[in-house]
Amino acid sequence: MVSTRDRVRATASGPSAAPPRQRGLLRARRRAGLLMVAPAVLHALIWIGIPLVAAVVLSFTSYDVLTPPRFVGLENFRDLVSDSVFRRAVLNTSIYTFFTVPVAMAIALLIALMLNTRLAGRAIFRTAIFIPQVTATIAVALVWLWIYDPRSGLANAVLSFLGLDGPAWLSSTDWAMPAVIVVGIWQGIGLKMLIYLAALQSLPTDLYEAASVDGASKVRQFFSLTLPLLRPATFFVFVTSVIGAFQSFDQVYILTDGGPANSTTMMTYEIYKSAFREFRMGYACAQSLVLFALLLFLTLLNRRITGGDRATR
Amino acid sequence: MPPVETSTRVRTGRIALYLTLTAISCVMIVPFVWMLLTSVKTPGDIAAVPPRLFPTEWAFGNYADALRAAPFATYARNSFVIAVSHTVLNVLIASMAGYALARLRFRGSSLIFLGFVGALMIPTYTKILPEFLIVRFMPLFGGNDITGQGGTGWLDTWWALIIPGAVSPFSVFLFRQFYLDLPVELEEAARLDGLGELGIYARIMTPLVKPAFITVALLTFEGSWNNFLWPLLVTKSDSLRVIQVGLSVFRTENDTQWAFLMAGTTLATVPMVVLFLIGQRYFVQGFATAGIK
Repeated sequence: MVSTRDRVRATASGPSAAPPRQRGLLRARRRAGLLMVAPAVLHALIWIGIPLVAAVVLSFTSYDVLTPPRFVGLENFRDLVSDSVFRRAVLNTSIYTFFTVPVAMAIALLIALMLNTRLAGRAIFRTAIFIPQVTATIAVALVWLWIYDPRSGLANAVLSFLGLDGPAWLSSTDWAMPAVIVVGIWQGIGLKMLIYLAALQSLPTDLYEAASVDGASKVRQFFSLTLPLLRPATFFVFVTSVIGAFQSFDQVYILTDGGPANSTTMMTYEIYKSAFREFRMGYACAQSLVLFALLLFLTLLNRRITGGDRATR
Repeated sequence: MPPVETSTRVRTGRIALYLTLTAISCVMIVPFVWMLLTSVKTPGDIAAVPPRLFPTEWAFGNYADALRAAPFATYARNSFVIAVSHTVLNVLIASMAGYALARLRFRGSSLIFLGFVGALMIPTYTKILPEFLIVRFMPLFGGNDITGQGGTGWLDTWWALIIPGAVSPFSVFLFRQFYLDLPVELEEAARLDGLGELGIYARIMTPLVKPAFITVALLTFEGSWNNFLWPLLVTKSDSLRVIQVGLSVFRTENDTQWAFLMAGTTLATVPMVVLFLIGQRYFVQGFATAGIK
């Protein structure tokens, strides 16, 4: 891979040394490159670049869409600090992320290890575990809403079959968050498992043979070989999962509307409410920047801890 | 240790492994089974306490009734049109960009690539409010004047549903990864034969990364079909509603019509499950490529 890239770079460098015909070719190539990348760049500038700048600018204003924005300095950020609902949302997002990312990653790795053995029907298990990932969160959240129905839902039917009294899941301040987390883990575990499985299958087998010869136990092999070798995969799964978890919205929208008593509201939900129910665009932009900043912080922190994606290209 | 005992131990281990994996798989699948069974239950069966797993009477008519209760067919068609548009546009524009960034070095190309990687990090929720405002104040559309005032811009139009999702940085990134792996000799040979750069991209290199195209197409289609918040924000009229928004509106307007709602969610999930089963290899490859390389 690296060699291919280097060769490409080698051919592209040193135009001064090239004969005139080749120089013309190189110019044609640069022009073609610019032309081919232009539509995507233009699109990204309009729909990512401008919005990012606009979000920063608007976060210093008070803006209700109907009247022009009014500069208010740091007022939005000051309000944020004293906004107890938003603080609750940050806490809820963190709790949700903790269970649907590190905890779910550990479970996913366990499943991947189980599937990484010679096993009849492995493809069937893999498919079954991955299917929730490809279905729409809105649709499956509606199914779970029905499962959590306190009277006729499946969840409490199973519990009463086991002799337990099920709670009123989504209308209980104690149980609503766990219920939302279960849906998050259920839907997201397939992708984590899949990436771990692909990584496990590309591990070098000779290292394990050597370790076995040296008398290292399976458990020892897992902790001193497998886990370190999986670092790039772990970094990737962590970063993409945190980005996903921080932005979960659909299941909260369907299952709880952030309630009861803000016990399941997320940062995304507060952004949505500020912007489209209260029309406080400036405030919503400030909230969205906090979300962005926390996400960046977590990514960099993880890069620090796992040694990042140094093994990747 | 005598060999008989070892084999028993191995066998017990395997049985435990199978039981665990079967249990996990069941948990993953049961919600879908419950959805399908509910969609063909009569109101009496649905209200039963404790709930019955199987319907006493199979009410297949629920699907026709659900389609009469809300235009789910129109919603599904809208989702399909949008998903196909996103797929075609993404594959076209992102593959060109990915190719240029991988194979045609020009001034600023590494900076542009860095920009796309950085764009991957920007959360949807930071972009979505200004994106909404851009759509709302799109000049010269929907009664807006040149400054974007006076009308509703792209709100409640196909433009708003299709254009902002036409290219994703992730697609550009994936295509670049795939094009990087091709041997440089092919490109050089084609160039010596006098083929232009666009010709080399379209006729020589692209046929070699067909799996990349299928992967990006499947992932884009799936993401577009499952998208909820953006279509919710930019559309109002029933005729432009997509399936996910249609489901959530149906739920709030017809509170406890579980059979119809589950018929609707079946309509919204089954196409993606089928698509995944057909293209599983490419889904897996797409995620693995993004994850390992």
